[in-house]
Amino acid sequence: MPWNDPKIFQLLSLFLLGCGLMGLISRRTFLGMLISFELILNGAGLNLMTVDRFFYQDLPRGEVFTLFIMGVAASETAVVLAIMILLFRKYKTIEEEKLKGLKG
Amino acid sequence: MIEKVVFWIVVFLTIVGGLGACLSNSLIYAVLFLLLLMGSVGGLYIYLGSPFLGMMQVLIYLGAVGILLIFSIMLAGPFWLKPKERGRFLKIGIGFTLGLGVILVLWKGVSEYEPRIGPERLSQVNKVGKLILTEYTLPFELISLLIVISIIGAIMLGVLGGKKEGKDALE
Repeated sequence: MPWNDPKIFQLLSLFLLGCGLMGLISRRTFLGMLISFELILNGAGLNLMTVDRFFYQDLPRGEVFTLFIMGVAASETAVVLAIMILLFRKYKTIEEEKLKGLKG
Repeated sequence: MIEKVVFWIVVFLTIVGGLGACLSNSLIYAVLFLLLLMGSVGGLYIYLGSPFLGMMQVLIYLGAVGILLIFSIMLAGPFWLKPKERGRFLKIGIGFTLGLGVILVLWKGVSEYEPRIGPERLSQVNKVGKLILTEYTLPFELISLLIVISIIGAIMLGVLGGKKEGKDALE
């Protein structure tokens, strides 16, 4: 069975981390960066769950930590989106290169 | 047989979702690919022996985070004025190099060791609940506190930001 091999899951989570890093740097808007960050969080959760399933047989600590990651991701998304909508109301854009108010 | 086919379909959808979410040129397409990816990661959780986490993934990520993202994209439009989502060429180059470098470096580490695989484990939701309510009580309570604070903060940002702007407009 292919799903009894941890390497597939680990390589998938590694792939998600790479995609997220690339998107985080090359996106132009804050919303795109947030989407890439969600990619990285998904990869982290998948990796934790893989380690929990294959290498740690005692108690499902990885599941607990994946649940915690989900909670942190949900609350972080809510706050970032509120900040973003506020920025859009004030500056009429969410592109990171045009928001120069704090640059001095 | 059918499980194998579904498994490879889920893996393929994960790869397609990741590539689309980081490479697509329009923001709304990126969000739709991200939703595809979240759903297929939920399927991978089910294949990892935890249907509970798969359900939580669908509920929290697909239900809450995805709707929030689409909602905010609709609020922060209009995006048809500037359809290009890519940055400058330098940024794309740096991002591609960094992502590929991280993948290659960690790929070597992941693919070279021989894992010791234990016996198959069935879903243990009761053990998860016991762990959360005994050993990880403090993080659990802190997560609930964090979510309450973030909800209050988001509402405060929305309400107070609107009020201040209204005052400036009146003056």
